[in-house]
Amino acid sequence: MDWTVIAEYMPLFREAAFLTVRLGLTGIAIAIAVGIACAVVLYYRIPVLKTLVSFYIELSRNTPLLVQLFFIYYGLPKIGISTNPVFCGISGLAFLGGSYMCEAFRSGLEAIPPIQSESAESLGMSRLQVMRYVIFPQALSISVPALMANVIFLMKETSIFSAVSIMDLMFTAKDLIGLYYRTTESLFLLVVFYLIILLPISILGSLLERRLRYAGFGA
Amino acid sequence: MPDLGLNVLLKGKNMQRLLSGLWTAMRISLIAVAISMPLGILLGVLMTKKNPVVRAVLRVYLEFIRIMPQMVLLFLVFFGTTGAFGWNLSGELSSIIVFSLWGTAEMSDLVRGALISIPKHQYESSEALGLSRSQTFAYVIIPQTVRRLIPLSINLITRMIKTTSLVLMIGVVEVLKVAQQIIEANRMASPNAAFGIYLTVFLLYFIVCWPISMLARRLEKKWKD
Amino acid sequence: MKKRYTAVLAAALALALTLSGCGGNASGGSDNSNASGGSANASGSSQASSSGEGSGAASGKTVYRTLDEIKESGSINIGVFSDKNPFGYVDENGDYQGYDIYFAEQIGKDLGVKINYVSTEAANRVEYLETGKVDIILANFTVTEKRAEQVDFALPYMNVALGVVSPDSRVITDLSELGDGDQVIVISGTTAETYLIENNPEVKLQKYDSYATAKNALENGNGVAWANDNTEVIAFALQNEGYTVGIPTLGSQDTIAPAVSKGNESLLSWINDEIVALGEENFFHAAYEATLMDTYGPDFEETLVVEGGKVTQE
Repeated sequence: MDWTVIAEYMPLFREAAFLTVRLGLTGIAIAIAVGIACAVVLYYRIPVLKTLVSFYIELSRNTPLLVQLFFIYYGLPKIGISTNPVFCGISGLAFLGGSYMCEAFRSGLEAIPPIQSESAESLGMSRLQVMRYVIFPQALSISVPALMANVIFLMKETSIFSAVSIMDLMFTAKDLIGLYYRTTESLFLLVVFYLIILLPISILGSLLERRLRYAGFGA
Repeated sequence: MPDLGLNVLLKGKNMQRLLSGLWTAMRISLIAVAISMPLGILLGVLMTKKNPVVRAVLRVYLEFIRIMPQMVLLFLVFFGTTGAFGWNLSGELSSIIVFSLWGTAEMSDLVRGALISIPKHQYESSEALGLSRSQTFAYVIIPQTVRRLIPLSINLITRMIKTTSLVLMIGVVEVLKVAQQIIEANRMASPNAAFGIYLTVFLLYFIVCWPISMLARRLEKKWKD
Repeated sequence: MKKRYTAVLAAALALALTLSGCGGNASGGSDNSNASGGSANASGSSQASSSGEGSGAASGKTVYRTLDEIKESGSINIGVFSDKNPFGYVDENGDYQGYDIYFAEQIGKDLGVKINYVSTEAANRVEYLETGKVDIILANFTVTEKRAEQVDFALPYMNVALGVVSPDSRVITDLSELGDGDQVIVISGTTAETYLIENNPEVKLQKYDSYATAKNALENGNGVAWANDNTEVIAFALQNEGYTVGIPTLGSQDTIAPAVSKGNESLLSWINDEIVALGEENFFHAAYEATLMDTYGPDFEETLVVEGGKVTQE
């Protein structure tokens, strides 16, 4: 391995890593919002919306992100819906992630016994208040492990952005291999940068999980 | 009705080619599933053992494989191994290796999770009832573990099938690459083929994965109570 | 909790060690990566000439197959494009077609072996030869100095330069017309990409990894123009209405040639002999007429075809 090459490539990879994190986090944030909205719809069994949400979840969970992105980026413009790479990447990630996040929140919501909302309502709280102050905080802490797993999963999925011309870590490595044929150095930097991004999330995830497990014992 | 480029599918052997591309991806995932299920169970059981060395080694393997995007793993195995070990692996073989390694890691984690989720008092009560250790496993622990495990493993299978779409990136001619070839060869005759063909690929994956997901969900519901 | 940290740290450490181990092996074994670094105390050239050992990997084994080994095995692996119409693509019956393929078929016939086509992308071509995944690359591979450090090129069979195609609504005739927000589509690992990075670093590139996706992006208006081999952009403008090649030549006149793994001399000299022999029967003109005439018409035949490996400079 040639360290001068590593030093030379470093800024490119750093930039790509920032882009990866930025797009990943944006996509994940939207996915969480979509997930919460869908989970609430399913929890209250809101008619019509419920059917739509179920349909969306099945569609999103049973198709690969790469195929979703190809369809959004290369297919949709043919019927007049054009996107740019960044928008496409983020919306693809949100489309995929929304359903996974929804499942995570839903299992959290369903774990709260109905007696809690009944008692809260009998105390005179409105439905919204019950959700806001009683159900949601508990459900959130129950769904944290699944949520963190999804964050890691979605962050990893950003590597697929390279297929729609986003210069993320994956594409940077591929491009440099194609340009200067320094395979070893490019792959090394690729692995190191993904570790830098994903290892902390993974550690944070298991810390949270442990803390919640202890909390569970106390209850 | 605008031209959606679906007519291209009917030309020549195009539909058949798409399906055989899909089969290429399926074959990779099925072989990987067949390898990783038993290996994952084995590793998962090993991880519940107390031996610190075994646990540390498995942890390192598991963490690395699960943290790296599958695409990175594909590149490492496909291009990296030649530089490092002089191996020359075909795209398909590399994919099988990567998906087996990854599937094993995920499966072992599911198995470990299922095993430790069985409360300790179950072991203790079985013992109190006079069951031997192997009887405890055969009649008490394993049936419960399997019930928890099967829906999760079926979900893992759909994830593996979906992820095989990435093998396009290391030159395996699977369904997406065939789709690109078809779009490219018919650019003049049907300029909108990209819509119709990619939509078809999208639906093909859905048709394959959806029934499997439904099965997992049904089993999960059935065994919940 | 502590245990977990240690495990993760151990993971990172083990990984770093393995990787740097790999790295050491790789740069020691495959001299080609060193050679381009410049600091490789001539290991590149010496090894390349000491036939055989050249591109061997860590194990000391050569990655490539010699001519005899190929003949013995009964099949040859040829890396081609599967989405670069009309040079290398797949028709609706699943058969490979195009100018490169026409030549590949002849090679298979004259070697008396079955051809196994391997679909490549531009950025993978060198890698496929270095790792021995194919015996020959016949994927519109432009001869460049940098590439010649990694692979061995045979005699050329086609002329090429770079060109830029853009939609009729806004034809780009000079790179200086590009504004701040304008992105030019290129394919990763092509000579167009290298040229623009080196000579026009101010041009913003939008990179794709396959011909299919790059052309799709141009059609969808994701970039204002597409820079590639001029042969390919001319073909695109001829085949698709509404596009004009505003810059027909950019950079130097180059050639396209088959390539083999570095040091694979038996195969290289066989291909060279083949190209010379085929020149006597005007093979590449026939190839042009069979595969390119529909797209280009007769006008480009003399400028495009290189016969018998001899480039006639105008």
